[in-house]
Amino acid sequence: MTKKGIKPRTLDHLQDFGCTIPALILILMFTYFPILKLIQISFTNWNLLNDHYDYVGLKNWKWLFTGSGRKYLVNSLKVTFLYSAGELTITLFGGLVLALIFNTMHKGFSALRAIVFMPKYVAMSSAAVIFLWILNTDNGVLNYFITRLGGRRVDWLGQSSTAMISILMLTGWRAIGYGMIVYLAAIRSIPKDYYEAADLDGASYWTKLRGITLPMLSPTTLFLFVTTFISSMKVFQSVDVMTGGGPNRSTEVFVYQIYSYAMEDFRMDRASVMALAFFILLLVITASTMKLSNGRVNYDT
Amino acid sequence: MLTEERTITERNERAIRNRRAISVLQWVLAIAVTVVAFFPIYWMLITSVKSQEEVLLLQPTFWPKEFHFENYANVMHKVKFAKYYVNTVIMTAGILVCQIITGVFAAYGFSKGQFKGKNALFMVVLGALMIPLQVTFIPIYVMFAHWHLTDTYLGLILPEAVSPYYIFMLRQTFMSIDDSYIDAARIDGVGKVGIITRILVPMCRSTLFTVTLVTFTSGWNSYFWPKIIAKEESHRVLTVGLAKLRDTFAGQGTMNNHEIMAGAVMAILPVVILFFVFQKYMLSGYSKAAMK
Repeated sequence: MTKKGIKPRTLDHLQDFGCTIPALILILMFTYFPILKLIQISFTNWNLLNDHYDYVGLKNWKWLFTGSGRKYLVNSLKVTFLYSAGELTITLFGGLVLALIFNTMHKGFSALRAIVFMPKYVAMSSAAVIFLWILNTDNGVLNYFITRLGGRRVDWLGQSSTAMISILMLTGWRAIGYGMIVYLAAIRSIPKDYYEAADLDGASYWTKLRGITLPMLSPTTLFLFVTTFISSMKVFQSVDVMTGGGPNRSTEVFVYQIYSYAMEDFRMDRASVMALAFFILLLVITASTMKLSNGRVNYDT
Repeated sequence: MLTEERTITERNERAIRNRRAISVLQWVLAIAVTVVAFFPIYWMLITSVKSQEEVLLLQPTFWPKEFHFENYANVMHKVKFAKYYVNTVIMTAGILVCQIITGVFAAYGFSKGQFKGKNALFMVVLGALMIPLQVTFIPIYVMFAHWHLTDTYLGLILPEAVSPYYIFMLRQTFMSIDDSYIDAARIDGVGKVGIITRILVPMCRSTLFTVTLVTFTSGWNSYFWPKIIAKEESHRVLTVGLAKLRDTFAGQGTMNNHEIMAGAVMAILPVVILFFVFQKYMLSGYSKAAMK
């Protein structure tokens, strides 16, 4: 057999390497290669309707940053960051408040906790159709409550001023329980003697919260901030199901815009430039959040 | 002396009273939050068994006058909901099998394996975490269209066949296993595959299970890629089908919200059941990731 010429040790290493090959090939094919391909497409004038395409140099890049594409780029950046800010606030602040409320070892709380966390497991598309129904202008239950309280019916998804709020309601419903669970796990791991020492000094609830709990939670806050920020940039599904980017592009987030350039306008060239811009944006955000975090977090346990 | 003692007991009493007040407040707030969080699920369930007239009432009813379970059957008839179900099961199963196989082997290679460039190649895997499908979908779509993989199961599964997250989590766990177990097995003449399947996997089964649950839910709930690659009804999955129900039932002004809600219930059922059965694993999956 072929084994003859190879040392058993080398063969062993080859086998170990072999174990990683299927994963590596798939990753190279479906993650790294497409990036190169994107760069190539971004220098062409390719739309899906034609088989033929030409290289047009920096035309698409100029279109995006200085041409007619700029307006929409700026808009989608604004919309995406607005959404991110909303999701971050709900997950971090809302999650923390809920964690403080639910932070009791009592048995009854754990059942309630599970219910608050459950929406995370309701698929986004199911959740989105539920919220479409709740927010329905004429028959929706939210407008029913509002009119009962003396308010007027709101066209939640039909006007620019409330469309983003509607999407954030959906996001918040699914995200807040997640923030809570992550914070709860962290609160539980804070050593009890810190609180006992504070009790001896007669510290109030608020003093302990400010002096012990919050500083000890800073690594968790950072973790939630980084992961939520990055995942919120990729928002697509809730927008696609609930508003389709409208009205008047008021909910047209970044990924939705890439999607509509590619799959609705068939402008692969423009979509590719947009996708690369998005990729660079993600890299910048990841790098800067990591850098920002260094040295500013209390890792002392 | 006496006054000092009194102030101490007074202070204690006040502390106990305060604590009790806080705990009552906690209960009230917790119940209020739970009611709000549960309401959309309740509303979905209730709407899914109402009649059409009842759904269209301007004054919504909070308990259905009559139970119309035929709504569920109606959705099944009006659209190919059963087909969506089968497609979702096949896609999720395919993703699971592929991710487990590629993940377990790669995690072994990157933890216990020894070869040149191991760390550099692992960085390649980790780097992939920073490149989401939302960036790369255009070339993959073009590639798959060229290979005639649109509207196929393979097309749905392939881009999700490997998960850097899965590899990363498993590698961490495998590294915590002592080398002596592996050496002992090797002396007994157990091969590479045996070491992985008979030692590492059983010893790490709880982490493996937790991570696999996460994979299952994200596969079952995936939307972006299936929407792009499966345009025909023949390979449509539940999430996409559900979002399209509205269009099938005449768009925004749809009168069929009771049937859409029935569809929503059916779509989330498997995951919600899993959540209640394996709650402990699912919760620990998230807190474990957070602790890293």
